[in-house]
Amino acid sequence: MRDDQTGTFWQQISGRAISGPLAGSQLEFVSSDELSFGLWRTQSGAKTVLKPVAKYVRDYEAKDWDVRMAKVKTVLDFPNTGLRSRDLVLGVDAFGASRAYPVNRIRAAKLIEDRLNGTPVLVIVGPDQKSFRVFQARTGSEYFSLTQAPRNQIGAPVFMDSTSGGTWNFDGCAVSGSLRGTCLKSVPAINDYWFDWRNYHPQTTIFNR
Amino acid sequence: MAKLSARFIILLAIVLLALTAAACFAYPIYVIRPFRRQGATELALALGMIQIGPWLSTLSAAVCVILTALAWRHLRGRLLRAVALASVLVAAACCYLSRVNIYEFLFHPAGRPQFECADQAKLNADDMVIAVRANGSARAYPIREMAYHHVVNDTFANEPIVATY
Repeated sequence: MRDDQTGTFWQQISGRAISGPLAGSQLEFVSSDELSFGLWRTQSGAKTVLKPVAKYVRDYEAKDWDVRMAKVKTVLDFPNTGLRSRDLVLGVDAFGASRAYPVNRIRAAKLIEDRLNGTPVLVIVGPDQKSFRVFQARTGSEYFSLTQAPRNQIGAPVFMDSTSGGTWNFDGCAVSGSLRGTCLKSVPAINDYWFDWRNYHPQTTIFNR
Repeated sequence: MAKLSARFIILLAIVLLALTAAACFAYPIYVIRPFRRQGATELALALGMIQIGPWLSTLSAAVCVILTALAWRHLRGRLLRAVALASVLVAAACCYLSRVNIYEFLFHPAGRPQFECADQAKLNADDMVIAVRANGSARAYPIREMAYHHVVNDTFANEPIVATY
């Protein structure tokens, strides 16, 4: 990215200024996540959506653009990692460690309990089966994915824990049990292609490899 | 013989100045072109060239023009004058082009973003969005729009933010 005011170039993935008058500066990260529209719109509060720009609507990507993009050749390859360049991963860079969670493994597991540099984390799949979030888990608890398919709502319970026996929703908040009202701390994560994540996180590990 | 050498040295200087101006334009374009692997050093050089390119190419073009004007009557023969003139034209063109990033023409900014209520959005339930939340409000940037514009400058919850994809 380049800003018009100073001509500084900013690295998209990190928000760091890499060339120009503001080189070395860092944009503050705004917490965000990638959700299906159907799931996103079930959350409470005022909700606004970016309107398409009328004169470009015809040029917008087709619905299957990610399928086509998956076939586009990459300029970077990281062989012998067990992943193909265009494999989708959920990338987490937290607690002094970087880890890539292949999306197909997250979907298959529904819920992943892991540790990043000793800190317990929880990777969960939303009730839409398309959205993912990561939370800092409570030490000593064991978590289980709810087997019964929940309603496609952001507030619907998607997992439970062994300590309180309560259920938790996709916001990471307990909706039943003794910890009801408690929310787990969110951990930033981004959906990315493996080659891109690996390029910017050379020290990354891959979950279960 | 000495005069001949001096003429060629001046012509060589004129050509080198034109090449310097050309490099200010061409090197970043070559390095930053899409679907090409960029090394860290060459990328840093190319981005640095974009920063100093307009000044360096202007200086090169100016000296190129002045040198050509001063040496014009000594540059006898059509070929020498043609080379000098071509160098001036190249330097002048690259002086302008070094101020233009042609790759930015490939992307169409979203301009001042407009928003609509979630109920009015023509999106399918399974369309993916980038979502932010603050002060009880939520905002969504549809991925298919973001994959086209790539950057949206916005203000959300009274804070200037930039959404990128």
